[in-house]
Amino acid sequence: MLMPRKVAHRKHHRGRLRGNAKGGTEVTFGDYGLQAIEPGWITARQIEAARIAMTRHIKRGGKVWINVFPDKPVTEKPAETRMGSGKGNPERWVAVVRPGRVLFELSFYDEEVAREAIDRAIQKLPIKARFVKRDEGF
Amino acid sequence: MAELLLTAQTGRPLGTRSSRRLRREGHVPGVVYGLGQDPVAVTVPWPELRRVLTTEAGLNALITIDVDGDKQLSIVKEMQRHAVKRDVTHIDFLRVDPNEEIQIDVPIVLEGEAKEVENEDGMVDQTLFTLAVYAKPNAIPSELTVDISELTIGEAIRVSDIVMPEGSRTEVDEEEAVAIGTVTRSTLEAMAAEDAAEAAALEGEEGEGEGGEEGDGGGDSDDDGGDDAGGDE
Repeated sequence: MLMPRKVAHRKHHRGRLRGNAKGGTEVTFGDYGLQAIEPGWITARQIEAARIAMTRHIKRGGKVWINVFPDKPVTEKPAETRMGSGKGNPERWVAVVRPGRVLFELSFYDEEVAREAIDRAIQKLPIKARFVKRDEGF
Repeated sequence: MAELLLTAQTGRPLGTRSSRRLRREGHVPGVVYGLGQDPVAVTVPWPELRRVLTTEAGLNALITIDVDGDKQLSIVKEMQRHAVKRDVTHIDFLRVDPNEEIQIDVPIVLEGEAKEVENEDGMVDQTLFTLAVYAKPNAIPSELTVDISELTIGEAIRVSDIVMPEGSRTEVDEEEAVAIGTVTRSTLEAMAAEDAAEAAALEGEEGEGEGGEEGDGGGDSDDDGGDDAGGDE
């Protein structure tokens, strides 16, 4: 699973998710993409599950790019713990995603197969997302 | 090619709120600059903009923009779009001199099927999607086509293989790859997993041949192994 090798601060503030993505909104490397249309936190596990769903569907002859990285630690307090005594322990890593962000890109010769692969990856994510193509023309 | 005429209005109020108001009314805020003249903030009607940019010339269309009766030859330099809706939120027009060369990015389109690459479970990895081309405004190509039918695994089509249309040239390094025939890591992994599954299946058959109940047990464990291998992908 994806996670940073080392970090400056072990625990982050939660932050707020407002507005749309400011960059990474175009399909840049591949032919097709998976674009978020809702904001959310995507965990490293979900990214990995989506990647596996895509690569399993296209089998051979394609390439997948992951455009997001889970670099935000999420902490949790152990179960049945009284409140207080400081912030919990880092439990997982998430990528902060805003609407418009292209999370994955895919290159494959058959558009129908690529569309189905991306639809399967969308099923693994906690947000609404859609299939997009490289912008050609207007 | 027929002249593409676009009428722009000047004197639009600047700023976020007034620009949003314009967009709601079906206009696209923009700016016209270039040729050493002052930049002019303009607004163009959305349907008209759509009409001039959906011709055969594509986004590199040569547009005659009518700014308060002053007709100026221009091209679209930059277009900003909404992240989700994909509406055009702002557009930059660059004034051009019909007798002077300009630099413009022209899309590269791959043509044909790389049969040899497909037969070997490879893929055509396009690394260059646009090419910076120098041409006079009248000679700007709408796209550059590259034939990939002769491409093989490990080989690349380079900038030098692109046939430039008359009146246009490029200064991009001739050795730069446009498309590469390659077998991806995931394909290699998939092939290795399939080979491993086949080998495991063969072992299972041998086990069945040796004894009845033991052989069935071996078959089940092979199935589990296959799932695990898949999970590691």
